[in-house]
Amino acid sequence: MNAFLFLYRPPEGPPLTPQQMAEVMPVWMAWMKSLDERGHLKHAGNPLARSGKIVRGKPQTVSDGPFAEAKDLINGYTLIQASDLAQAAELAKGCPMLDGGGSVEVRAIAPM
Amino acid sequence: MSEFVYLYRGGEERTSSPQEMQQIMQRWVDWLQGLAGQGHIKDKGNPLERGGKIVRGRQKTVSDGPFAEAKDLVGGYTLVEAKDIDQAAELSKGCPIFDAGGYVEVRPVMKM
Repeated sequence: MNAFLFLYRPPEGPPLTPQQMAEVMPVWMAWMKSLDERGHLKHAGNPLARSGKIVRGKPQTVSDGPFAEAKDLINGYTLIQASDLAQAAELAKGCPMLDGGGSVEVRAIAPM
Repeated sequence: MSEFVYLYRGGEERTSSPQEMQQIMQRWVDWLQGLAGQGHIKDKGNPLERGGKIVRGRQKTVSDGPFAEAKDLVGGYTLVEAKDIDQAAELSKGCPIFDAGGYVEVRPVMKM
């Protein structure tokens, strides 16, 4: 088994309301549980708030988000185990965010 | 203490010699060890390979990716602990990615 990272990108548009969040949460939990039961969940990862800082340059400057390209916004990640990239992508198809028009970027962990 | 994720973005493609790559890697190891010594590392995270797949939308189409411009490509992540986002941003300033022209996106972990 190899390690892969799922990077979640929400659909463009406003963030979910607390009520919408409460509705999708059980769907996410069920998906995570199903990945875990099949031995594919290495680390559930974390959801990320829609705020942040960008640190860039040398000497470094710190600026506030939001970020230039809202479509590039990442709002969470999960560490997965799969036999190869194709299987990891197949597993990503169960992600609840896809139903709302979002996407999952699947990336192999680089060997150290 | 609160949790924050560093998303390492951009930076030159690694066309360096094996010896240079080893030096760059050592700078990352030293930097992460320094943060760990100060109690700021929750999960040192992982570097990512450049290629990957994107799974998108209700149709769950799988394509080769990632499609982010090279300057915004996520090359790795680290989970840190800091008292607030300003401290998290300050701590990121030692990151070796600035020497390669990349930048660090600092994002609060959403409290669930």
